[in-house]
Amino acid sequence: MARAKVEQHPATGTTMVVMVGLGIAFLLFIAFLNVVKSGNILSEANLLYAALVFYAGAGALYLGFGVTGTDAYIKFASLMTWAGLLANTGAVAHRWYEAGHPPFASIYEMLLSFVWTLAALTLIAEKRYGVKVIGTVTMPVAIVGVILMQLLPSEVRPLVPALQSTWLHVHVTLAMLAYAACALSFALAMMFLIQDKVKTEIFLAATSIFTVGIYAAVLTRFEKWGGFNVIAWDAENKAEVFVSRGVRLFVTIPDLGWLMLLVFAAVLTPLVLYVLSRVKKNEGLLAIADRAVFISILLQSLALVFFLVRVRSGQYPSLDAEGLYATSLSASPFILSALVGGIFANLLYLLLLWRRADLERLLPDADALDRITYKTICIAFPLLTLMIAAGAYWANRAWGSYWNWDPKETWAAITWLVYAGYLHMRITRGWRGRRAAYFAILGFAVVMFTFFGVTYLLPGLHAYA
Amino acid sequence: MLAKVGAERALQDVRKRKDMALSLRSASRQIWQTLSSIKTGVVLIILVVIFSAAGTVILQRPMTDSDDMQRAYSPAMLRFLDLTGLTDIFHTRWFIGMMILVSLSIIAASVQRFPNAWRYFARPYKSPDDSFRKVLPTQAQIVVTDEEQGLSAAERAFQHMGLKTERIVRTESFSLFSERSRISEMAVYIVHASLLLIFFGFIVDSLYGWRGFLMLSPGTASNQVEMKNGSMRTIPFAIRCDGTGEETYADGTPKRWWSKLAVVDGGREISRKEIVVNDPLVYQGLRFYQASYGRTGKLDQLILNANPANGTAGAPQEISLAMNQTVALDADTSVQLVEFIPDFVVQDGRVYARSKDVVNPAVHMIVTSKKANASVNVWLPEIPGVDENASSPYTFDPKDLKTGVFTGLQVSHEPGQWAVWAGVVLMAIGLTFVFYVVHMRFWVVPVVDARGRVALWIGGTANRNRDAFEHKFKRIVEQIQKELKLEPVASAQPQAASTAGR
Repeated sequence: MARAKVEQHPATGTTMVVMVGLGIAFLLFIAFLNVVKSGNILSEANLLYAALVFYAGAGALYLGFGVTGTDAYIKFASLMTWAGLLANTGAVAHRWYEAGHPPFASIYEMLLSFVWTLAALTLIAEKRYGVKVIGTVTMPVAIVGVILMQLLPSEVRPLVPALQSTWLHVHVTLAMLAYAACALSFALAMMFLIQDKVKTEIFLAATSIFTVGIYAAVLTRFEKWGGFNVIAWDAENKAEVFVSRGVRLFVTIPDLGWLMLLVFAAVLTPLVLYVLSRVKKNEGLLAIADRAVFISILLQSLALVFFLVRVRSGQYPSLDAEGLYATSLSASPFILSALVGGIFANLLYLLLLWRRADLERLLPDADALDRITYKTICIAFPLLTLMIAAGAYWANRAWGSYWNWDPKETWAAITWLVYAGYLHMRITRGWRGRRAAYFAILGFAVVMFTFFGVTYLLPGLHAYA
Repeated sequence: MLAKVGAERALQDVRKRKDMALSLRSASRQIWQTLSSIKTGVVLIILVVIFSAAGTVILQRPMTDSDDMQRAYSPAMLRFLDLTGLTDIFHTRWFIGMMILVSLSIIAASVQRFPNAWRYFARPYKSPDDSFRKVLPTQAQIVVTDEEQGLSAAERAFQHMGLKTERIVRTESFSLFSERSRISEMAVYIVHASLLLIFFGFIVDSLYGWRGFLMLSPGTASNQVEMKNGSMRTIPFAIRCDGTGEETYADGTPKRWWSKLAVVDGGREISRKEIVVNDPLVYQGLRFYQASYGRTGKLDQLILNANPANGTAGAPQEISLAMNQTVALDADTSVQLVEFIPDFVVQDGRVYARSKDVVNPAVHMIVTSKKANASVNVWLPEIPGVDENASSPYTFDPKDLKTGVFTGLQVSHEPGQWAVWAGVVLMAIGLTFVFYVVHMRFWVVPVVDARGRVALWIGGTANRNRDAFEHKFKRIVEQIQKELKLEPVASAQPQAASTAGR
């Protein structure tokens, strides 16, 4: 009973429209100023910025649907996604032309391609499969991608000899398509779980665990006296500062650590309340947990704002070297994406909480979603296979060996095995429904680790991207 | 009496052997059962995943400097990791053993299921009997006036849809059977066979393949390859480097490394090739890859302008010196290049080399004057306290410095890779069949429906993509009706008996 009464949205429909409209106008105005300053309308940076604005608008409208339940928002969100895709295509074309090769050679370029593919697939899913709200999951991912791109060094780097190969383009294209298909299957599996009447509190627990995990990872940078460690940034050379070969210099931002710790406590609260509600069999605690999620979003946003402000201004001391050093968002792309990702995940949970009935109405039924998830993985799996094969062939021509047990290769193989496992369980054991959906979600988690985790956490030959 | 005991004992022996044989057989059967079960496969795969993941998180010796290893782990931890093989997981016996077990489990599972699948594949079910027709989920019935006419219409309909039909003779009439892509039933075995082929190639390479490094300077040839553990391996022919070079972008990052190589076998030059990264030289199963390029830190050629100092007769000239080479400047004076230091530093009045990188070069020449019977130590640049440039009859202006370069070639022999690529191609074919090629079957059987009318029973199955198949089936039924120009009759009437009484 208590859960049915969570209709406390802070804004009504018109306010939301006005807010989104004002936000977009403001951002476009800033872009206009930039254009006036540089005199260059169709530069890649502007196109990307426009794409960000439109994807952000689409994301906001999807979430606006969450607040107001107005179906028309979905239509406008779709249009915004189209506009964003157009701008994104412009950026890709511009980049390709400038660099003389398809955008695959650095993580900046790969994100550009990935975001483009994600937007394109979102629109295909909406048109072909009729899953109209898939943007609620894919647009936030696209937004995070574009934000990351704003921070990463974007100079056109000429290709080093090993990267000058057609097989490179083949391998990376296959990777982008495969990963985008996996992302789609993840979104569809989530929607299946919604349609399969998985209880909202399970989503609460999952979102909470995810956010706690994020902040636990962020807190590895906590310094004893409440400081927060980030990598120092050399603004002149646009690169991280190194103490010695392979060892980066960390600076400590004072007090930011305390804030992160506070937010960690805030995101832990809903999880604790959920566990308590199960143990004590008290549903009322769930309502409090939902409010705690709302509060944690506010605190997470606060943490994000403080992080942005402190990182962009000021010089900080280091425990490893004398003097003060500056840092930059470019030095901490993962912390930034983690913070933003956490906020989005929680907002999506609130969307589910407040508008579950509407979502269930708009989405296809559970059976259909189950089949579509399977079909998407039937597309993703051959692509994954070919991607690994093309990569092996390229490695053979470039480095003399088709398999080196390099962390990226190994994790790509693990990803392949997980999806092969999904197909086996489905075809041979007849696994359907929830078990299949959980498997698909696990698969995507491994994909994310292969794509991001390996590059930034583990060493190896795959240093390019 | 003794004979009886002997006979009894003989009987006991036979029984014991029989029991042992039986238990051996049942033991081996049990092993076979376990090996071919899906659970075993899943457990093995999970183990492979866990250990592979461990191999990416724990630093692996083949890829990491031993200094970095010692920096990352405490001595006790490193000893433990080395002992358990966790620092080189992918080459330990137990990991390779696990991969072999995975292969065996795939083989066992396939062999166990294959006979059934082969029976299904080799003996198509062309004439469905009563009970089969009763329970088939996708079926329809169309009433016809004449059996022959109906069947011909059905044949035309199938033809129109691009499907070939076959007439199956029954006792008093015939039925139709149409099928497409029966190979699809074998698809999964193709995929698993391809996986085994890849594993086979991989294992062959692990056992018989090797990789090494070959460094050549232009003009030199070698048949000695340096292996990773430091030992040298002799290859049956030599590689000669006729030239090597590097192109860089404006900011200094490498753009292109190239080497002109020639294969010299038994003293004869067999072939030549200019290789670059991504484009190796292949000969007799050995592959030579352009891996790197660098400077040896040794001087190749020094070009300078020699100008006679005041009071010396002679003309300014440009000379070129190689290491230890002497060049005559005039009838009386000659100059010899004796030292080249790529990165010099002066300490206590002596010149030392700080590194091999050509960062701060210095050359030491000796100018000899026959008449005066004197030698002067000339240093470029001038090094106070060391050089005697002031008393040299000639002054020198350096024009160009060519240092030695080398090309780094990666040499590899991987005999199993053909199995790997064949496996990849086979897997692509197999996966295409698994996902995109559907085995469809259709039957059209003349029956008598519940009201005694002659009707055509139409049924179909597909082994995947059932919703798309339902559409296709509907279209076929509609097409048959079009050919018959009849109205649709009620579908699925499973009670109808065939006219031929089968």
